[in-house]
Amino acid sequence: MAIFDYNKEALANLKIEDTSILDRLVDFETARKVHLSKERAKKDKRISLKEAVAEFVSDGDVVLDTGFGYVRTCIQSHFEIMRQKKKNLQMIGAPNTNQSYMSFAGCVYYSHSSYTGAEMRGTDKNYKRMMLQGRLKVVSEWSHGGVGQGLKAAQLGCPGVLSKQMLASDIVKYNPYLKVIQNPIKQDPDPAVFIPALYPDIVFIHAQVADKYGNAWLYGPTVNDVAGAAASKKVVITAEEIVPELDIRYNRKGTIIPFFYADAVVELPYGALPGSMPGCYYWPRQWWEKLMRLGGSSDENMGKFLDEWVFGTKDQIEFVEKLGGAKWMIEARRQTKAAEGDNEDIDFAYQEYRVDNDPGIYY
Amino acid sequence: MKNDAPANVLEILAYIIAAQIRDHSIVYVGTGLPMVAGILARNTHAPNVTMVYESGGQDPLPGDMPWSVGGPFTWRKSPMIQEMPYSFGQVYNGYVDIAFLGFAQVDMYGNVNTHMIGDDFHKPKARLTGSGGNNDLTSLAENMVIVGLQTPDKFPEKVDFITSVGHLTGGNSRKEAGLLGNGPIAVISQCGVFDFEPVTKRMRVKTLHPGMTFEVAQACTGFELLKPEGEIPMTPMPSPEVISILRTKVDPRGVFTSFPPA
Repeated sequence: MAIFDYNKEALANLKIEDTSILDRLVDFETARKVHLSKERAKKDKRISLKEAVAEFVSDGDVVLDTGFGYVRTCIQSHFEIMRQKKKNLQMIGAPNTNQSYMSFAGCVYYSHSSYTGAEMRGTDKNYKRMMLQGRLKVVSEWSHGGVGQGLKAAQLGCPGVLSKQMLASDIVKYNPYLKVIQNPIKQDPDPAVFIPALYPDIVFIHAQVADKYGNAWLYGPTVNDVAGAAASKKVVITAEEIVPELDIRYNRKGTIIPFFYADAVVELPYGALPGSMPGCYYWPRQWWEKLMRLGGSSDENMGKFLDEWVFGTKDQIEFVEKLGGAKWMIEARRQTKAAEGDNEDIDFAYQEYRVDNDPGIYY
Repeated sequence: MKNDAPANVLEILAYIIAAQIRDHSIVYVGTGLPMVAGILARNTHAPNVTMVYESGGQDPLPGDMPWSVGGPFTWRKSPMIQEMPYSFGQVYNGYVDIAFLGFAQVDMYGNVNTHMIGDDFHKPKARLTGSGGNNDLTSLAENMVIVGLQTPDKFPEKVDFITSVGHLTGGNSRKEAGLLGNGPIAVISQCGVFDFEPVTKRMRVKTLHPGMTFEVAQACTGFELLKPEGEIPMTPMPSPEVISILRTKVDPRGVFTSFPPA
């Protein structure tokens, strides 16, 4: 028996026959039950990334992408999910840039799509190939704001929100979760899009600083992460540094994710790589160019690329070595501190990646 | 780049976009040319403009050219960084005056496609980025300006996927569909500046760039362009001073304004 009454036009357009795959993202009752049964004790939740992925990511889960695609995003956690060959995952995020290569690795099959690519670093051609080869199925189209409002509705503690975003566009015709309804308090016609509260199964949030209980301090754009942490059934905090709880209480003004959301805490310096980490390190821009321009060009190249960078590294430390080791680390810290206005300005010029001129060190 | 070389097409576009920005306004910008234009406006006629980005950064201190809307230069020492849904909420609530966005296709009513090329969603000829914040801004912004290169494929009569609603099917259809703001007020391309005829809301030539004729602009378009009454004015071109500011202060490495692009 179907629990939810989805947008039928979207189901037809997306060719979704078994709607049960859609249920878990909007299954509030289960999310509430899971939250009620979570460990309440303030205890040391530290485990390794390998353990966290093995224990908390189940095949078929809806994974929420975090940060801003390649800004404070839990990409090393994505890589571990790939190494452990989790299957049939659904992925949502705004952006959801990282679904593409996770689909190639056979992990993500269902795509809740809002943005795929890497802005100025180039177009993602892999995503289309995954669609055409039947290795990735788009199950809902979104705008960034639409995903943000759905997660925010969950955090606010309400069944959904009425939005003016996505109205009258084809996005609504390709998203089974959305319904256009009349604003009930207006007498004149006033269409609005109902966006249900979204409850992902699992989220990895990479923080600059966390304590062993899971209080996590975020610096820079938080995007959807506070809402995503409140909504998701399982929450894994990964952090550049683990600090005493008192450091969070006294020194970390700003955005905190509270400890009782967290199921696990992972000390994971350089855990946002190959993305950037505000306050810590700048992007290896050439790495993204290589992914898009070389990896994106064919299945063969993507396979080689992932074999080298994901399956050929066992953790983020080996990844740093491959990017350029200490030389890369020093430059990446210098770049981010200058970009954020904490250090004196520097020259951001660099040589773009070219297939025929691999730099070896990826700034 | 030599500072006395004539302006290239991207520099001209940046200047024309910048000209749409009024001083003391709040501007929502995406990466690329709109960002260059915002910074150019701030360095010329609009020193008090406030810039807002979809990753939540707003009102940053001046710095280098960001390659991502999430990059540090979009929130460099920002007094606050908004969560993403709140950033779009500011647009809904009337705190943003104008937004600039790109496209893969734009049609005669200013509807924008950044999703896919082709007629089968499941077997696209090209799969593009999807909406990102494009739809959110287009749905909510008081004034929208659409920026990009013009070819008949990129200016079709009907876009392959409506990512973002412009004037929908013309007339009052945008408002009746429940969307906010004035919708697209201008389209800026290498041919000229276009507006939308007030009654039908069909795309109309407003000004043409130097050397451009209506016929050439029409040949670059997949639908019938409307022609304004009388002679079509020429788009004002940047002065050497403005080009010099663009090349020395705004985008000195030509990240977004070298032509051909780096």
